Amino acid sequence: MAITILPPVVEDLGPYQADSDSDDSMSDISDSDVDMDSASRPQKRARTVSKKLGDGVVIPGQVVTDDPQWMRGHGTYINPLSTSIIATVAGNVEKTNKLLSVRPLRARYNPEIGDLVVGRIVEVQSKRWKVDIAAPLLAQLPLSAINLPGGILRRRTSTDELQIRTFFSEGDLVIAEVQSVHQDGSASLHTRSLEYGKLRNGVFLAVTGTGGSKAGSSSKGGSKSSSAVPGAIPGIGGVVRSRRQRWSLIAENGGGEIDVVLGVNGYIFISKHVDNAAAMTNTDSVSHNRMEELVSSTIYSSQNDEIPMQTRREIARLSQSIQVLVQHGVRVDEDTVTKAYRASLQVDIEMGDDDEEEDEGREYLEGSKARQIIEIVLHGK
Amino acid sequence: MSSQRQASSAAQVPHLSPAELSYLYTSLALPQNPIRPDGRSPTQFRPLSAESNILPGTNGSARIGFADGTQAIVGVKAEVERTVLISDTLDVDQDAETVEGAEESASAATGGHGSWVQMSIEIPGFRDDDALPVFLAEMLRESLVGSVGGNEDNGERHMAGGLKGRLVINKRWHWRLYIDVLLLSQPLSYPLPLLSLTTHLALLSTKLPKLKSTGEEDPFFDDDWAAAEYLYPRSSTINSNPSQQVRPPVTLLVISVGENVIFDPSREEIAVADAVLAISFTRNSDSDTGTDEPLKLLLTQRGIANSETENGNGPDSAAAAEEETPGVWRPRRGGIKRSVLAEMMKTALKKGGVGEEVLAGLEGVEVA
Repeated sequence: MAITILPPVVEDLGPYQADSDSDDSMSDISDSDVDMDSASRPQKRARTVSKKLGDGVVIPGQVVTDDPQWMRGHGTYINPLSTSIIATVAGNVEKTNKLLSVRPLRARYNPEIGDLVVGRIVEVQSKRWKVDIAAPLLAQLPLSAINLPGGILRRRTSTDELQIRTFFSEGDLVIAEVQSVHQDGSASLHTRSLEYGKLRNGVFLAVTGTGGSKAGSSSKGGSKSSSAVPGAIPGIGGVVRSRRQRWSLIAENGGGEIDVVLGVNGYIFISKHVDNAAAMTNTDSVSHNRMEELVSSTIYSSQNDEIPMQTRREIARLSQSIQVLVQHGVRVDEDTVTKAYRASLQVDIEMGDDDEEEDEGREYLEGSKARQIIEIVLHGK
Repeated sequence: MSSQRQASSAAQVPHLSPAELSYLYTSLALPQNPIRPDGRSPTQFRPLSAESNILPGTNGSARIGFADGTQAIVGVKAEVERTVLISDTLDVDQDAETVEGAEESASAATGGHGSWVQMSIEIPGFRDDDALPVFLAEMLRESLVGSVGGNEDNGERHMAGGLKGRLVINKRWHWRLYIDVLLLSQPLSYPLPLLSLTTHLALLSTKLPKLKSTGEEDPFFDDDWAAAEYLYPRSSTINSNPSQQVRPPVTLLVISVGENVIFDPSREEIAVADAVLAISFTRNSDSDTGTDEPLKLLLTQRGIANSETENGNGPDSAAAAEEETPGVWRPRRGGIKRSVLAEMMKTALKKGGVGEEVLAGLEGVEVA
């Protein structure tokens, strides 16, 4: 079957507070279609009035509570004339003692010094690039903050300024580190390390979720989710700051070594592992300086290496595994990605016997496969 | 100016790096066995969720959500309108469709007229007179009213003359259909297939009140909504072959990369495509011809998503002189091979092919 059509999923958003205030203000608008609502909507969506504050999802403008005993935290707002706490973002209600905050389901990345990020060049200026790193503002990458070709750390010259596009041009993907964060929250990046620079030989994917901006609470939420039913807690997925944002793993099915870069900003790059050092050793008689030069000349190349079919397949599988994790609200780090990848292989072997003719679409991880993978990642050790 | 605005409203379009484009292209162009970035097989669609009859104020409606989060809602409304008969002397400017319902000739009163179907598409970030929504609306409408094709002689069933014929009440009155398409999310990929599938589903669920009056008298309808009839008759009678029924057309997007033919392309896949083709087809209701073909091709459009492709729109013709380096992205030039084009058609339209499966899948969506 080429096409799968599913019935719509009515998501049970959990209990949330019914409030009299917003009902009154809305009544004149919604009066006319009240009967339509009750006819077409399942009963499940009807307001469940609960006395206690639930962990349900609230939307901006919704009154979370009008009990004056709560203090307002992030993501909430109090009208000066009333005591009711109003949500300003869509997300889950969180309580810490008497502090009430709303953790957003999706948020933009909030740069912090030292973060490893993947970005895409969107603009080339005379002495710097503007980089999209999924933050509220574009980050800047000054020409002076990259490794210039022709040996170790030298000053930039006017020649470099003229050929700025030979280093990075619009659309290029870079891996960089946040060097500083300005007053307005925009970031300055640098790539002054041989580990950083242009990305090639692979695929890019952007994952949503709260990303690294809530690293503390995300990791807490992640541990909570591992004990709960998969998918029960939405909105805690995404990449979190962790020990290793970049590693390589040995792929199955003859895929060779694959590099995974998890940018803290939720941008991910999966590529074939290229061993720069190995490429250098065959030209053994080169001096140290010559080697530096070679490295920097390949750093800004847009030419892909020869990538075998098996590697491409495993890269596609890996990116699918990450997508599955994100869709089910599981945080993305080295541990979960590796587990999900192994799980997808395992699920494949189990299901492989059933459908012989659908051999081609096997890498597509959806539906029951996704559920099994999540099950294995969260519970199977 | 207009191109600038288009650019800014489509600012979320990621500009892919040359290395990514090259990787994608070579993956998709692998002979026999293309590797899509999401692991699908070439003819596999992303799973979608669909429901119909969701808007109580319409004659028929549907909602479809794609897996990538794009969603569309379609509402179909019908209105009774007097058929304006004008003398045959005005026949010459029949193609001027600007004056609504004014240019029907006497033959149109029985055969229906294309302008009785009105379509509007709303896409966030675009004005309603921008090129993209207008073009998409016209394209969908054209295949819809054009589906009359050769089944004029199939007069027993009351879908003679296709949709246009169905809209005729009598010589003096007809139905006018308003099809309103609303894309709820940003167009993450080219929205044509989504909009077309949703429109198809909405039309399938569309009901018109049962006519009580007969002949040439002013139309008078049954109040009972339960007695209303489907615009497109459903397969309530078991003995009728479902493949014989007239169905609204479906438009699918097909791309070719190298020798491979790929269905339901994502935005990245469109970006590296050699050729992008929109194929509109419907059930072949022409029982008399006795052909094996279960589907009928209505129209094809080439290069519709040109603004989305990285291919073939660069101004530098000198680039063709350069020789190809493996691993480096270079936009492809030139047209589509005949064999590839034939392969695209065959995969979509053959018996048991992708097109039939899509129609069968949509038929399976329950009308609530």
